Amino acid sequence: MNKAERLINLIAMLLEAQRPVTLDRIRNSIPGYQQTTMASFKRMFERDKSDLRDMGVPIQVEQVDAFGEEVGYRIPKEEYYLPEIEFTTEEKVALLLVNRLSSGEVVPLSREAGAALLKLSPDLGDGSRLGQPGSLHCKFALQAEPVEDLTRLWEAAVRRRTVRFTYRSMGEGKEQERQLDPYGLYFDRGAWYVVGYCHLREEIRSFRVSRVESGVELAHPAVEGPDFKRPPGFKLEDYSRVLPWEFEEGAEYEAAVRFSPKIAWLVERDLGEVYRFEPAEDGGGILHVIVRNGEAFLNWVLSFAEDAEVLSPVALRGKVGDRLLRILDKLGGEGDA
Amino acid sequence: MPDPTGRINRLLSLIPYVLKHQGVTLDELSEVFEISQEQLLKDLQLIFLCGQPDYTPADLIEVDIDDDRVYISMADYFARPLRFTPAELSGLYLACSALVKLSGLPSSSALMSAMGKIRDALGVTPISQDDIDKSVEIQTLAPERAVLGELSRSLDRRRVVEMEYYTYGRDDLTRRRVHPLSLQFGMGHWYLRAWDGRSGEVRVFRVDRIKDLKTTGETFEPPPEEEEEKTPSPFSVTESGGTEVHLRFSPALARWAKEQQIFSEAKEEGDYLVCTLHADALTWLERELLQYGTEVEILSPPELKERLRHRVQNLLSIYS
Repeated sequence: MNKAERLINLIAMLLEAQRPVTLDRIRNSIPGYQQTTMASFKRMFERDKSDLRDMGVPIQVEQVDAFGEEVGYRIPKEEYYLPEIEFTTEEKVALLLVNRLSSGEVVPLSREAGAALLKLSPDLGDGSRLGQPGSLHCKFALQAEPVEDLTRLWEAAVRRRTVRFTYRSMGEGKEQERQLDPYGLYFDRGAWYVVGYCHLREEIRSFRVSRVESGVELAHPAVEGPDFKRPPGFKLEDYSRVLPWEFEEGAEYEAAVRFSPKIAWLVERDLGEVYRFEPAEDGGGILHVIVRNGEAFLNWVLSFAEDAEVLSPVALRGKVGDRLLRILDKLGGEGDA
Repeated sequence: MPDPTGRINRLLSLIPYVLKHQGVTLDELSEVFEISQEQLLKDLQLIFLCGQPDYTPADLIEVDIDDDRVYISMADYFARPLRFTPAELSGLYLACSALVKLSGLPSSSALMSAMGKIRDALGVTPISQDDIDKSVEIQTLAPERAVLGELSRSLDRRRVVEMEYYTYGRDDLTRRRVHPLSLQFGMGHWYLRAWDGRSGEVRVFRVDRIKDLKTTGETFEPPPEEEEEKTPSPFSVTESGGTEVHLRFSPALARWAKEQQIFSEAKEEGDYLVCTLHADALTWLERELLQYGTEVEILSPPELKERLRHRVQNLLSIYS
């Protein structure tokens, strides 16, 4: 006997029941429960009931007689049924797009969102019922981080639960067991990061979720939680908008970089809201950047080759020259073209 | 045993779907429920075995498949799907707000009003929206969002689009007329798949590198679907063709290089990492290599070394 069949029959029976249904009646009615002994039937029914409750099926236990000696089960329709919701065409298109996003498992709880949208599907229909609007030609590629890790970290953050995982940090190279009080998650340039208080380093740190080698587990599964409090002044955005050259290394200074007309519009779009961009008449422009880590900043500037030029400070210009000479040296003396 | 609760959840929505849309096609059902037709038929067969005690033919749910159309009756007790769990409601809210941040499509007001209706129907969320907002931060893709709205409108109306596009691989800004076919998000960026008038082929463009965009009055016929499928995914690594390049990363960058998804092969040599990639243009690679500085060594081809040397000398003349 198929378990799915047994459970569907159980839901159907308890939904239609006028009065609570006793265990005996359940056993005698539903195929799949009959062949077993009473003891193993009871175990089987307990498992089925807990599976259904995990799914959100509201199974209620009620007394069947005045003496309370026997109990029965039923599913109240008003608690089971999702109310019918009338959506406009625009709302339907919007929710079908959300479904694309959840299929790509881009954000935490994507599977749960997908399950919710499945429950809405009778009210949504599909694209063909909406005349296939072009915006439904949007797809989301599968996100690299496992959605289970994202979901566990998110749940731990909102429930204030300490987690543990092994992490392969870029700098140290070897895997290390970490304990973290997760404060929140952020998504930047295609990658997820979790921010929180790191018990090993004793400070607030960001971790790239794709570098979590093990799964994510609760550090203290036996206790109820919450395990920690989020500091009152903590703001996720203070950690999520840090550019590579803003990580503290040395003193802070302002650098000016001139961009050619070919590329300036791209830089302005990307960073024009973070830094001051001074447009030039030829379509190019100068970006004024706050720098704390000079090396990281030069990596970025050099990625634009001749389309970017450091104007100031003079010392930084000098560093560009040094870096270029070192590259030339490394390329070796195979004769000049 | 395969996940039975996933299947039960599906069945509990499949029945009300058919009850509301009698005569729905097998195609539509397998698309909505994201299952193969084979699995769908198995699901329908299972539904056919369920019902009320005593499970005589008169008590069972009736399922008819006629000419690829599906009809269900005798299942009024399954007229509506099961309510959301708290996690499903949080997940839906999270996915809605992520969509607004990432695309702004189709319009955040439609999403917000849809969410409003869902909240009204279901009551309050167990975890407040404020808590959800404070626990997840998604960078708004502002430049892409500006262009995406216009692109999706031209997709809707099958309009030819004129655009100025920056090709990173060749470091080149060009004007093109394209037929937009679809949009895809991945690795932090939006990509447009479009038939390109310049090359006469379907190409993939990164949306944030579209400098300007103008929808023309001209409409186009989309190519047959199989044609569209032939274009490479923007996320797959090129395994062959183009110029084969071998790079050796120093221990400082080896770990980082290993995470990059552009190499078809990466081999450890002590603490060093030797990587292979296939590039159809070298210009972008010169720029990448400039950022890695002395932490990378070009093993081959010599042409790339020569080009980089030339470029460094050019740059030096700017700074001297």
